Amino acid sequence: MRALCWEGVDDLRVTEVPDPEVVNPRDVVLRVSLSSACGSDLHILNGYLPTMREGDVIGHEFMGEVAEVGRKVEDVSVGDRVVVPSFVGCGNCAYCADDLWSLCDNTNPNASLQEPVLGDATAGIYGYTHAFGGYAGSHAEYVRVPHADTNCFHVPDELDDQQALFASDAWPTGYMGADFCDIEDGDVVAVWGCGGVGLMAQESAALMGAERVIAIDRLPERLAMAEEHAGAETIDYTEVDVVDELKRRTGGRGPDACIDAVGMEAHGTGVAHAYDRAKQRLRLHTDRGEALRQAMRACRKGGTLSVLGVYGVMDKFPLGVAVNKGLTVRTAQQHGQRYVPQLLDHVAEGEMDPSYLATHELPLAESPEGYDLFKHKEDGCVRPVFRP
Amino acid sequence: MTAEHGAESVGTGSNETGKQGLSGARLAVAVVGGALVAAGVRRRSAGGAALAAAGGWLLYRSVRGRGSATERAGAPPDAQTVERAVTVRASADDLYERWRDPDELDRLLAGFADVRAAGEDRQRWTVAEPLGRPVAWNARITEDSPGEALRWESEPGATVPNEWSVRFADAPGDQGTEVTLRIRFDPPGGSVGDAAMSVFGVVPEVLVGEALRRCRSLAEAGETPTLDGNPSGRGRGDRL
Ligand SMILES: [Zn+2]
Ligand SMILES: [Zn+2]
Repeated sequence: MRALCWEGVDDLRVTEVPDPEVVNPRDVVLRVSLSSACGSDLHILNGYLPTMREGDVIGHEFMGEVAEVGRKVEDVSVGDRVVVPSFVGCGNCAYCADDLWSLCDNTNPNASLQEPVLGDATAGIYGYTHAFGGYAGSHAEYVRVPHADTNCFHVPDELDDQQALFASDAWPTGYMGADFCDIEDGDVVAVWGCGGVGLMAQESAALMGAERVIAIDRLPERLAMAEEHAGAETIDYTEVDVVDELKRRTGGRGPDACIDAVGMEAHGTGVAHAYDRAKQRLRLHTDRGEALRQAMRACRKGGTLSVLGVYGVMDKFPLGVAVNKGLTVRTAQQHGQRYVPQLLDHVAEGEMDPSYLATHELPLAESPEGYDLFKHKEDGCVRPVFRP
Repeated sequence: MTAEHGAESVGTGSNETGKQGLSGARLAVAVVGGALVAAGVRRRSAGGAALAAAGGWLLYRSVRGRGSATERAGAPPDAQTVERAVTVRASADDLYERWRDPDELDRLLAGFADVRAAGEDRQRWTVAEPLGRPVAWNARITEDSPGEALRWESEPGATVPNEWSVRFADAPGDQGTEVTLRIRFDPPGGSVGDAAMSVFGVVPEVLVGEALRRCRSLAEAGETPTLDGNPSGRGRGDRL
C-alpha cells in the first residue's frame, strides 16, 4: 500500500510499504477514509522527538471503514464506519478502568524505552516515535487498530467523514483541556493557541458554559475562526503584552482558567522568546515555554492551568509562580475513549461541528505538500486532511 | 490490504498466547542501548541527550552490569540480583497459576528462553545464545506456595547457575496483586549483567521488566502488545 513515511528532518515521502495485517485476535485493519495532520507531528518533522526511524509511517488522527477483523473482535464488523482515538487503550488495565486511556499499561510494545526517561510508560500511539509504541501511523491506505472493541467508535450515518474525523485527536484533546477547568457560571477561560486543539478547547469551553473565552494567537485568520466558531474574544500577542491585556480585560483578576494548547514550539515575542529560541536552535533543550509562562502569570490566584501542549523534557519551569499563586495544574495526553461518544453526540445534536478545521483536503499523494502548507501556516491552513 | 495478506496470515503471529515473533529481535533491546547512544550523540539535542541517557543506561547495563543499576532497579544491594514489581488487576491465585504452568512461563519469556515441562517440578530451559549456540539446563521448583510464591533453581551443571523467584501480595485497596520477580545469577567470577547478557541476550532489567509486563498484559488484556507485521518503509515487522 502507499503511505506517508518520515525519512528525516523535514523529509516526508509517499512510498510503497507492506500492508498491515491482523496480528492479535482483537485487532482490526481499517481502510483509512480520512487522516489529519496534527500540530504535534511538527515536532517530528522538525526533529525534536527522538526514536523516529527512517521509513516510519506517521499520522495519528483518522477515521475509516473496517476492512478485516480478528477472531476475538465482537462489536466491530467489516464495513463499519468508525473513528479511532490516537492513543491505544486495552480497556482492562487500572488506567483504562479509571478512564485515563493515554496511560494504558498494556499497549506500548516499547515500554522499556520510555521507562528510563519517564519512570513509567504511556499507552502506545499510532505513527508517533518508537518510544510511544512504534505503531505504523494512519497516513496510509490501511492501518492496524489493536483492541478494536475498545478503540473503534461507530460513526452515526448522519455525520460525514470530516465531522467525525476530529473526534480522534484534536477535539478530545481540546475538550479534555476544557473539562480540566471545571467550568462554572461566570468563568473566564483563556486559551493560548488557535490551532486545531486550541480552537476545539475554546469551543468546548463555551459549550461547557464559560461566560467568556479569550483566544490568543498571532495569525489573523485563526483569530477570526476563534471569534466565529467559539464566540471568543481575541488577543494578538504580537501587538500587546498578553499578561497585562488579560488582567486589564478581567478586572485585574486574570482568567479563572488558562489552557496551554501550544506546547513546546510556542512562538512568542521579546526576551523570553529569544532565550527559548536560541536554546532550542542550539538544541540545548527541546521546549520553548513562553505560552506556559504567560499563562501562569496571567491566571487568577487559585485558578486552573490546563496544559495540553506536547512537551519534551522542558528544563525551565517556574514552579514557584504556580505554588505562590495556588494554581491547580492539570495535564495529560488525551484520554480520547472517555470523550468520543459524547463528542459524536454533540455533532449529531448540532451543538458543535469541528469539520471547519479541515481547511485543506488532499489526496495522500500530495500529503508532503499538505505538511508544507501546515508547517508554514500558508493559505490559511489549520489542518490538512488526506484521503488515501 | 490485498489478498496475499488475507485470512491465511491471520493469527500466525498471534500474541494472544504471549508468543512474540522475535526472530532476530532477541538482541534488539540490548542493541538498542548502543543505537540510542549513537543517535543521541549524533543529534546533539536535548532530546538526543535524554535519548543518550536512556540508551546509555541500557548500554551501561549491558556492558557492566554491576552495582548502581541493581540499586536503580530497586533490588537489594546484591550485585547478583535484579528485582522489579508490577501491579496486576488479577487475583494472586490466578497469577500464581500462570507462573506455575510451564507453558505460560514459556509465553512470558518468549524470545528470551524456551521453557518446557520436564516432570512434575522440573522444567527444561533452552536459550539460543547471542552468538547462536543453544544452551540448555534443567530447573527445579524449590519453593511452591500456592497463591504466594514460587521459586526455581537451575540444577547443578548449568553454564550460569540461576534462580528465579516470584512473589504475590495483595495490593492496597482493590488494585489487584503486586507481583515481584527476582532473578539471581551466580556467574563464576562474573557479574549479573554479564551473565544475563551472555545467556539471555538482554540486560537483566529488561528481561525482568518484559516478563512482568507480559504477565500483566496477558492477565488483564488477553494479549501482549506487538509490532509483528508492522509496516514501514523498511519492510514488515519492527522492534525499533
Ligand atoms: Zn495529535
Ligand atoms: Zn489499558
